[in-house]
Amino acid sequence: MRAMSVVDAPTPRAPFVALSTLWLVLTGTLCNLRCTHCLNTSGPDAPWLPPLDGAVARRAIAEAAALGVREIYFTGGEPFLHREILPLLETSLAIAATTVLTNGTVLTDATADALAALARASRYSLEIRVSLDAPDAETNDRVRGAGTWRRAVRAIRALDARGLLPIVTATEIDGAPDAYDRFRAQLSGLGIARPRVKILPVFPVGRAAGDSAARLSDADLEGFDRMALQCADTRAVAAGGVYACPILAGLPGARLSDGDLTAARRPAALYHAACLTCHRTGATCRNA
Amino acid sequence: MPERVSEYRRIAVLGGVYANAEALAAVLADARRRNAEAVFCLGDLGGFGPDPAGVLPLLRAHDVRVVRGNYDEAIATGATDCNCGYTDPRDNHYARLSYAYTVAHTPAADRAWLATLPAQRRVQLGSHRILMCHGSPRRINEFLWESTTPDGLLRRLLADYSADVLLCTHTGLKWHRALDDGIAHAVNVGAVGRPENDGTPRVWYALLGAEPDVRVQFVPVTYDHESVARAIEAEGLPREFAETLRSGWWTTCLENLPAKERARGRF
Repeated sequence: MRAMSVVDAPTPRAPFVALSTLWLVLTGTLCNLRCTHCLNTSGPDAPWLPPLDGAVARRAIAEAAALGVREIYFTGGEPFLHREILPLLETSLAIAATTVLTNGTVLTDATADALAALARASRYSLEIRVSLDAPDAETNDRVRGAGTWRRAVRAIRALDARGLLPIVTATEIDGAPDAYDRFRAQLSGLGIARPRVKILPVFPVGRAAGDSAARLSDADLEGFDRMALQCADTRAVAAGGVYACPILAGLPGARLSDGDLTAARRPAALYHAACLTCHRTGATCRNA
Repeated sequence: MPERVSEYRRIAVLGGVYANAEALAAVLADARRRNAEAVFCLGDLGGFGPDPAGVLPLLRAHDVRVVRGNYDEAIATGATDCNCGYTDPRDNHYARLSYAYTVAHTPAADRAWLATLPAQRRVQLGSHRILMCHGSPRRINEFLWESTTPDGLLRRLLADYSADVLLCTHTGLKWHRALDDGIAHAVNVGAVGRPENDGTPRVWYALLGAEPDVRVQFVPVTYDHESVARAIEAEGLPREFAETLRSGWWTTCLENLPAKERARGRF
């Protein structure tokens, strides 16, 4: 009998507990930027994962509400490239706290005004997460593209001026232990009174995918609370179906149903190298 | 064996003592003055404050029935941290100091008692079924903030756990929401161990009555916060903790606050 290889090992699974978090991959992989670490290889070319139809997004929000969802997130690509983003946010904010992940570079003053009005009108929090990958323009723009730091910072100031308290979200590109402090100092220097920062690890998927064959095994998860993994209470709706999490949205191995959230309430396979990162770092794509 | 469900007309419910025995004593005296038939505490007895050992004797003296918080669970099980879920190193720094202090100043007998606390309690308030928990009934450290807790989630929790009224704490900020024309209720009772991030040093607890409909009243309590702030400094705990008690503004561990709640604070 030959030894069990990585390929032969049974794929461990995460249980499904409840739909706590709904992600809408609103613009699929359509984005005006082409960041070097982008986890779903978004960019301005024809997207490999198409944008969501507004009606599909509204159905998902309604279904999630009926299932007792706690929070709803809009991501992409760049969600503000979707022409229905504002009415969809209004629909979402009527039923739950809502977050948008944006690169900030296409966010106009008029949009910031509209977001502030939506936030004021809802009993639930509207969070805007603006991506920066370094506190300095040079390092950031090497990853995200020329001029992106300046445009994102402009958006951060516009949102902050309207009381929206954006969360600067960075990817841990250099692993600097003082990254939080540096971002906070930078934001304070820009006049942001309540600097909010979230830092995520680099996930080995999309443009940052490596060639490692390492995968999680049941032995790795012995004694580990699998319910702590975000796929235990999260689902992502993207064109073509419902997926285990936003990181793997669009990938066939993470697909759990053809679009029905109720049917996607089943265990998710921890089949991808990115699942190792989640397990190792305890990372969550949620705000907290 | 399931706990016997007791029936009350008027109860006091508090949370988040955070080793602030001075504030707890003031709250318990206030609840007694207001004729609460029973007092319940929804957990997190330690952390932040200077007097972990002073809390349990007060709870015993006033026959307070306690639900286990994530902090209590961590202390009881000898966990390496408080399971507060911070990712920001600055927040984790303060959380570590606070947790180490609480561990060092919690008597062994108190730790053993913490291990016996139930995760939930049920009582009857008039005709209403009350469920008490720390974070949420499904997870001890789930934050039920006012601005991130949808009505749909509350209805689901109440249905799943067969209750008319859900009582929780863990966030440190109080709120009450009546659902379905007042048939159901969710109440976060806030915290007595530190102020409300509202610029005043007062702390809050909740009085619930069956009249016969559920009536929820949040009660502000003032106490000698200056003496506790001085004790925090004398114990070598972070001066930011003392500043919070004096100013009423939260200075640390802000990363979990949602936008609406964060916007109400100074920092």
